[in-house]
Amino acid sequence: MIRVTIDGVTTQVPERTTILRAAKFLEIKIPTLCYHPLLKPFGACRICVVGVKKGLGLEMVTACNTPCEDGMEVVTQAPELLRARRLVVELMLARWPNVAVIQRLAAELGLDRPRFTSPVRDERPDACILCLRCVRICEEVVGASAIGYEDRGIHRRVATPFNQESEACIGCGACAHVCPSGHIRFEGEDYRGRPAEFLLGPNTAIYVPTAQAVPKVPRIDPESCIHFKTGACESCAAVCEPGAINHKMRDEEIELEVGQVLIATGYDLFDAAPAAQYGYGRLDNTYTALDIERMLNATGPTGGRVLLKNGQPPRAVGIIHCVGSRDENYHRYCSRVCCMYALKFAHLIKERCPQAEVYNFYIDMRAFGKGYEEFYSRVLHEGANVIRGRVAEVVQAGWSKQEEGTLLIRCEDTLIGKFREIPVDMVILCNAIEPKRDAAHLARIFGLSRSPDGFFLERHPKLDPVATTTDGLFIAGCAQGPKDIPDSVAQASAAAARMLATISKGVVEIDPIRAEVDEALCSGCRTCVPLCPYNAIEYLEAKKISQVNSTLCKGCGTCVAACPSGAISGYGFTDAQVNAELEGILAL
Amino acid sequence: MPYRVHLMVCAGTGCVSNGSLGVRDALEKEIHRRGLGGEVQVVTTGCNGFCGAGPLLVVQPDGIFYQQLTPKEIPLLVEEHLIKGRPVPKLMYVPPEEKVPIPKMSEIPFFKGQRLVALRNRGLIDPEKIEDYIARDGYTAFAKALTQMTPEQIIAEIKAAGLRGRGGAGFATGVKWEKVRQAVGEPKYIICNGDEGDPGAFMDRSIFESDPHSVIEGMLIGARAMGARWGVVYVRNEYPLALQRIQIAIEKAREYGLLGENIFETDFSFDISVTRGAGAFVCGEETALIASVEGRLGDPRARPPYPAEYGLWGKPTCINNVETWANVPPIILRGAKWYSQIGTESSKGTKVFSLVGKIRNTGLVEVPMGITLRELIYDIGGGIPGGKKFKAVQTGGPSGGCIPAGPLLDQPIVYDGRGERRPLSDALDLPIDYESLTDVGSMMGSGGLVVMDEDTCMVDVARYFLAFTQDESCGACTPCREGTKLMLDILTKIVEGHGTMEDLESLEEIGRVVKETSLCGLGKTAPNPVLTTLRYFRDEYIAHIQAHKCPAHVCRELNVYRIDPEICVQRGHGCGVCRRECPEKAIFGEKNQPHRIDQALCKKCGVCVDVCHFHAVIVE
Amino acid sequence: MENRHERFEPRIVGFLCNWCSYTGADLAGTSRMKSAPNLRIIRVMCSGRVDPNFILRAFQLGADGVLVAGCHPGDCHYQEGNFKALRRVSFLRRLLRELGVDERRLRLEWISAAEGEKFAKVSNEFTEQVRALGPLRLAVGEERPAAKELEEVTVR
Repeated sequence: MIRVTIDGVTTQVPERTTILRAAKFLEIKIPTLCYHPLLKPFGACRICVVGVKKGLGLEMVTACNTPCEDGMEVVTQAPELLRARRLVVELMLARWPNVAVIQRLAAELGLDRPRFTSPVRDERPDACILCLRCVRICEEVVGASAIGYEDRGIHRRVATPFNQESEACIGCGACAHVCPSGHIRFEGEDYRGRPAEFLLGPNTAIYVPTAQAVPKVPRIDPESCIHFKTGACESCAAVCEPGAINHKMRDEEIELEVGQVLIATGYDLFDAAPAAQYGYGRLDNTYTALDIERMLNATGPTGGRVLLKNGQPPRAVGIIHCVGSRDENYHRYCSRVCCMYALKFAHLIKERCPQAEVYNFYIDMRAFGKGYEEFYSRVLHEGANVIRGRVAEVVQAGWSKQEEGTLLIRCEDTLIGKFREIPVDMVILCNAIEPKRDAAHLARIFGLSRSPDGFFLERHPKLDPVATTTDGLFIAGCAQGPKDIPDSVAQASAAAARMLATISKGVVEIDPIRAEVDEALCSGCRTCVPLCPYNAIEYLEAKKISQVNSTLCKGCGTCVAACPSGAISGYGFTDAQVNAELEGILAL
Repeated sequence: MPYRVHLMVCAGTGCVSNGSLGVRDALEKEIHRRGLGGEVQVVTTGCNGFCGAGPLLVVQPDGIFYQQLTPKEIPLLVEEHLIKGRPVPKLMYVPPEEKVPIPKMSEIPFFKGQRLVALRNRGLIDPEKIEDYIARDGYTAFAKALTQMTPEQIIAEIKAAGLRGRGGAGFATGVKWEKVRQAVGEPKYIICNGDEGDPGAFMDRSIFESDPHSVIEGMLIGARAMGARWGVVYVRNEYPLALQRIQIAIEKAREYGLLGENIFETDFSFDISVTRGAGAFVCGEETALIASVEGRLGDPRARPPYPAEYGLWGKPTCINNVETWANVPPIILRGAKWYSQIGTESSKGTKVFSLVGKIRNTGLVEVPMGITLRELIYDIGGGIPGGKKFKAVQTGGPSGGCIPAGPLLDQPIVYDGRGERRPLSDALDLPIDYESLTDVGSMMGSGGLVVMDEDTCMVDVARYFLAFTQDESCGACTPCREGTKLMLDILTKIVEGHGTMEDLESLEEIGRVVKETSLCGLGKTAPNPVLTTLRYFRDEYIAHIQAHKCPAHVCRELNVYRIDPEICVQRGHGCGVCRRECPEKAIFGEKNQPHRIDQALCKKCGVCVDVCHFHAVIVE
Repeated sequence: MENRHERFEPRIVGFLCNWCSYTGADLAGTSRMKSAPNLRIIRVMCSGRVDPNFILRAFQLGADGVLVAGCHPGDCHYQEGNFKALRRVSFLRRLLRELGVDERRLRLEWISAAEGEKFAKVSNEFTEQVRALGPLRLAVGEERPAAKELEEVTVR
């Protein structure tokens, strides 16, 4: 530790601390421009000049990159320093008179009448002020070095190699983030293809999923994290005091030996974009139900307000039921939960935008549960308009300038037997609940059957909705079929109870349907041994016969059919029994 | 059989471009023709320094000096001097205003006042022959340093000698070497800075061309002292002959086992590579030079850390100027005591200056520190030609300042070379020394010395130098990038006649802040020419601004061209040449009539002045 | 109505594996799909349980057609049982040819638990196919003279 005095205040700092850092520690303000806490100090703007006492005079140095020395005495406000800073800012104003950050510095230094005009004056408010933060962050933090500078002196400018689109650029936006004048802008879409100004999700690579996430810890998205693209950055790990961030963490494969598995892998939502007639992903202000859930949430991007892309509340909202459900083209089943949440949306929108008209376009209103029908009536009383009919398409309206941005929902109103066109500002699509994209893969692993709609198959549709045909494998929730929360909870409880029951019994009941070897008849040919898929048959060297392990045997009967001596019997399905059945059914 | 005569033909760039190689070929042909091949040897040497008098020839061992030779004079010279033993007076140097030639080189005032240390071998050896260098005690100093001295002793010797960096800053070389020796990091590097960016400076070029081995030997001694393994010689790309000569020298040194592994069968290994510059003045700055060697953009970086701690490839590096390295072997060979007796109290040894401008004897001189400006300009330089008055001398290149002739009104307190500080009344009495030049507002720089007479406009000089530094600015820091451009703009306005008195205050204010806050030496010194001319020649600025006149008539925009009607008619008879040559058709008149210039049309190009045989056009 | 007395009603035995095809058949039932009554189902745990002897016995006892149905390849509840069934049925076809039994009377199908519709379709289709082939007449006794030869071939 060394001692340094700034403006008369003495403190101890670690060796090699810069004067600027030491001043920050003492809460003494020194103006800066090209300095940025994430970057190595550069010393280009020269605004942070301070004076170090040397003999009788002051030596002017830049605070950002001059290390403190033991016993150093620094002043930050001497008249010659202010004079120097003022002139440096005056030089900048001569060239960039309208850049906000320079104007601010000028005001702080009391510069009200700039005297000079540079021959290369640039009057844009977003002119590049050559702080080179963008170049430095791309090289030091991001590790991509996609942007640099060319030419020298007054002609120096920030550019990409040969002024062409840089292939090294990974589109992280770090340069735009640190640009003080807004010269570099990050335009266009974020990595998920949504317009950046209206992100309904995280806008940094490390983010807390929602304010109500459990557990409420940040996670890193490897798709957009710079470290995974260039090996550099790790700014998050640098600022994390407990050191809780580890970019090297990888998915671990853990092997557990279990006796029962509950598969509750949930659902995916129907991607509404291919259903082009609804305009999702193409038209502005067209959302899916999950998007709206996020918007309505108090911790969402709009703080719970219902807003259009232009920041205004909508005048009319159309909620379209059965997008992808009850549809020959996509899924024939009903997704069960959409009608109720659609009514919930109608209710909330009416509550938050009392002036807005809400239209629900439905086929049948499925209000099947406890209190559901009553809620439906209530929503009708609140003034939601319900139109019974399928929506043919959603188009841009716009005969006149005032109608720009308005969407038109073209539908059939079957109750009055007419085609209608309803102008709305916002469209909400209730998209179908689908089996998860990897359901087939999961089914193959576990040997699960799936029903024709792709959800996992229960053992019996009425009497055994949580078990599957495989012992020890249970299913619950939307993995088994679309259902809402009360039903999911009920099913999950049931499955858990079944599993606990098996465990608490303490013994495992074996199916009586299994195979057994008659030792007298077995010749030890071992034809059966390799056939068993469960390796349940063991050849006993000592006795020179094969034996079936009853706990492993599942009773498929393959070995029974294969035994040349007829030494194995399959209980419940012995040859005699099958032959008897044959005789019986063919007697008539 | 030893030769009885050596003909040293100067083959420095100046003489070569004047045709000295043709002279050499003629000499060889004639000698062969006359059958003198076994007695007379023709040697091509490096630059002798008296560039204004080339092509030069020095006959050794007599020391007879011949100047401005052409091939057709060679047969006569060979016949007379070599065969008949009669030196040829009409080919010798004749001082101006005198009739009698001076045959011996050592008597010629230009050479008499000089003291050669760095340039000790100039004109005496063939720079491409290592044997010549060795014959003149070359590499003996290195052998002594390697086998008879410890590294600490070498450094102590350099410190005691008081050698200071000849690149311009004048930092104590021994102290720098000590810092590098003590720094932590392997391998260590030493660099020879041969970028020589100052316009008009050619001291380093001359050393490379005439005595490259002196640099190599100096670097070897330094490497031994500091524990460096690798050396880099950085030569600007615009010096093809220098590049060629240093590369040949390095190869020869390797052949002789003076560079490479286990030199002289000790555990000391050292080798040198050459890097070419790429056309940037800023690469003479040490951190920018290092960036250039590393293949990066030649931008200077903030210091600390200094290259002695963190230099080439992040390792401790010692960068010294070419002339500094060339001074090292003599110091080791003859001792610090001998060296420290030359020069002043604070500036020991000699300095090579390029003496250019309005002076009779232009060329390269090496003089002991402490010599006065008067001796340098008048005794060695021969004074101002054409009967003009001495006005100012500019030292230190574009980073330096102008020292005016005559009494210095503000009587600056100046280091007198003997450890004291005294008021200086006449600039010509200024002893040349690092401290004294800084005291008077200029600096030593790399050794450029431009002499100016009454026909020089000081405002234009300031603008010329500032235009150079402004163009060479790297653009990283605000004050240099924006400040020099603004200052240049203001100066241009002034020379074009649109300046205001506020502009002078702006120049001083901007210049002061640029000096104080710039990141590197380029910015810190770029305002010097402007600030010193404002200090000593303020009246010229005021004339430009208030009277719209350039006292030296250099700034064309402010000139008024007028034809004297009497001279035009009486002497010129209205010849009309000017009328025909004027590109703007601004001159009117008839034959035998006085011509006149229409001021509204006159674009002040000055062609009329040039073409009038009768000097009838007057510039005001 | 007359045709019903004269029309030949084939007797088809179906060996259905418990997990997939039997459940599929059950699904056909609960879905109220119509399928031909000619198919008489014997449930086995796995199609791999189906001994070729059963099939021969079935023909011997008067079946006009035999259907063996199991899980789709890769989906067998017991991993590979259906592959064994496949091998056995393929071998049995050759044998049937040797015996002069039309091999179209033996059908192997993969029906999953969700494919009630498929089960019904297969059942109906196969019934019509066998009906077109006509009665087999392999029974032991005067009506089925070839059964004697068959008896020597079967082990039990």
